[in-house]
Amino acid sequence: MKKNIIIICLIAIFMVSQILVAYSQQDDATWYQFRGNERNGTSPETGLLKKWSKSGPDLLWKKDLGSGFSEIIISDNVFYTMISDKSEEKTGSEYMAAFDAKSGTEFWRTKVDSIFIDVDDWGNGPRSTPTYDKENIYCLSSFGKLYSISRKNGKINWTVDFVAEFNSVVPRWGFSTSPMLINNTLIMEVGGADSKAFMAFDPKNGKVIWEKANGNSTYSSPVLFTIENEAQILFANSGFLHSFNTKGDTLWTYKLPLRTPTAAPVLIDNNKIFLSALGAVGFVIIEIKDNKATEVLQGSTMKNDYSSSCYFDGYIYGFNTATLQCISPETGEKLWTKRGFGKGCLILIDGKLLVLSDQGKLVLVEATPDAYNEISIFQAVEGKSWTAPSFNKGRIFIRNLTEMACYKLN
Amino acid sequence: MKTSKIKILILIFIFSSPILLLAQDVDKIISKHIKAHGGEKNWSAVNSMKITGEFTAFSVVEDFTFIKTKTNYYAEQYLGQHKVTEAFNGETGWTIDPWQEIEYARKINASEENVFLQKNEFCTPFFYYKKKGHIVEYVGKEKVDGIEVYILKLTRANENVETWYLNAKTYLEYKCESMWIDFAWASPAETYFEDFQKVDGIIIPFYVERIFSQRNRIVKIKNVEINPTIDQSIFEMPKTEEILKLESFVGEWNVAVELWTRRGTWYPIDNTTSNFEFAGTNMIQENISYERMFPISIISNMTYDSKTKRYRTSIFNDFNSSISILEGDFSEDSFILDDIKISFGDENDDERVFTQLSFTNIEKDAFIMEFKTSTDNGTTWQPRDRFSYTRK
Repeated sequence: MKKNIIIICLIAIFMVSQILVAYSQQDDATWYQFRGNERNGTSPETGLLKKWSKSGPDLLWKKDLGSGFSEIIISDNVFYTMISDKSEEKTGSEYMAAFDAKSGTEFWRTKVDSIFIDVDDWGNGPRSTPTYDKENIYCLSSFGKLYSISRKNGKINWTVDFVAEFNSVVPRWGFSTSPMLINNTLIMEVGGADSKAFMAFDPKNGKVIWEKANGNSTYSSPVLFTIENEAQILFANSGFLHSFNTKGDTLWTYKLPLRTPTAAPVLIDNNKIFLSALGAVGFVIIEIKDNKATEVLQGSTMKNDYSSSCYFDGYIYGFNTATLQCISPETGEKLWTKRGFGKGCLILIDGKLLVLSDQGKLVLVEATPDAYNEISIFQAVEGKSWTAPSFNKGRIFIRNLTEMACYKLN
Repeated sequence: MKTSKIKILILIFIFSSPILLLAQDVDKIISKHIKAHGGEKNWSAVNSMKITGEFTAFSVVEDFTFIKTKTNYYAEQYLGQHKVTEAFNGETGWTIDPWQEIEYARKINASEENVFLQKNEFCTPFFYYKKKGHIVEYVGKEKVDGIEVYILKLTRANENVETWYLNAKTYLEYKCESMWIDFAWASPAETYFEDFQKVDGIIIPFYVERIFSQRNRIVKIKNVEINPTIDQSIFEMPKTEEILKLESFVGEWNVAVELWTRRGTWYPIDNTTSNFEFAGTNMIQENISYERMFPISIISNMTYDSKTKRYRTSIFNDFNSSISILEGDFSEDSFILDDIKISFGDENDDERVFTQLSFTNIEKDAFIMEFKTSTDNGTTWQPRDRFSYTRK
């Protein structure tokens, strides 16, 4: 009996892992969606340069770029991101665009909406990061239009207008959530009325597959974690963390003791989830057992704003508002702290943190709880930089509101 | 002899009490802190400072200018896209902060006052802290962020409490925890001080980072000018440009009051006096009393509304307890306001009587103010009262 259970479990683990592998291998890319393939800000690549010269690693190219906060996603020789062009004081367009990864030369751009102008001038343009499958790219405009666009030529296949079709409300800083593709299903936070907070669409035609929960659109994006051998889609919205299986069935719901986070949830030890946001309670760690969420720790030593944390080797690395920190998820203890990067962002590769300061400095830092160990630092791009870098085949892709650059890091 | 021994024992007891030991520690630490900052002598030679550099807010780096005297503080800095100007004279302060959608100077609130007091410190609050009415208590010695620090609790004269962390090696400040403001709301802040540099014998932190609420602000000093000549007028709360256009009305006036008769002539009814004065950064107030058969006192407040880009006046009449609100435009030779577009929820009242107030013949020492009424939505206006002003 016991043996049978073990065999069944092993088969289940194998099947789930195969599904996840299938999801993640998008055209041999290693960075095909928001925060990388696993949506955890981590690349599996190794062989990073041990350190850089004072002038930085080799610059492959640097180009001007239209305004936007959308991350770069990469497919070998092509990369994609969303941009905007301001034609006059308050007018302009928002685009989905494709570029040559070797040169930064633009292949095509497709208009997806009017430009999103931020009245407070934090920055204009799209916030959402697209994703792609073999043929098409999927993106969400600032005013809530979801698109399927041909990767080959930028031709629009279909579009769904969240505001017109689902009565979604445009958030203060525009729709910012990033699409997630799993099992031939496009998972979206829609923020629509009548239980259409979260929806799944058929990527072939944009038809609705399932819809769930209530709540307006936030600035968070869904993630897919394997918890207790089950693929779980997590959404943070309206003070709750929701878990669904890939068919849209609710697995569990947890009332958050903190503000709805903009930063992505982080998976720890296969069944614990770290969530962080600004506010009195900075983070909470919950444990999932038998589809039940139980709080195991909360604290104030990490308060993520829009930049998400990374988990590595038993420790959390992230921006506590505007301070880079390492904390223990066991105790919440702050192990080291480093100011000077403003509200920066980070990704994790080969045991190293690649930190981008809010002024465009790229920093190579040892991912260790022992101490802040800065290996190299250089000015990668100029000006306000709030978008996390992307990584593919030893190259780091960086963008901000005015330019983008690619550096060779192996 | 016995009494002397007892006295000595009492003194030994007093001087060995922990409180006094702590007090001694505090003064010793503060003395070293002041010395580390360049010493009392060098600081006493500083009467003013012009500090310039870069200020970072919302990840946007812009130039700033801070001007400090021993009592006053003035700053021009950018918070993101908006230029914020502020000043403080040790007691009261003002700010022009477009983030609050107010384009003119406004008085600061209590939370801002506490922050301006902190900004107003010429060096750190520990300089002459007793004279300032502050209380300092020694909390202990700890390691903070890997740095050995002395922790001091500072209770300001205004009873706001701050915790200061002084580097135990250098005696210079490493960190301060105090109340700050986020868009005029009180918020706890952590401030870090780095890059101490010598300027004319005094030591100043050239890099100050403050983290509060969800914000971080960085002051990066590039230049400190010691004892520049300061134009004291910069500390005065400025009037709005638009209200200054009405400045010629300000003063004491003799006023001849006339009434429009049924025969179509002006009939003199009283001679009185009036006073126009600035009652705020964006307001001129008139007080006038006269007899129109019965004694009447009127208070008028003239302001400029930056949203509608029109002048507005509210006229309170104590005799019939009425309030009129009029809007209008100012030109060089006339200033006409009416209530045609002012709604009191009586849009459908066919019998509503509209009021117009006009200022004409505006000269340096004289002008005429006239009230008119209309019963046809302002198509025609009938004279009512006329006030001829001549400067006293």
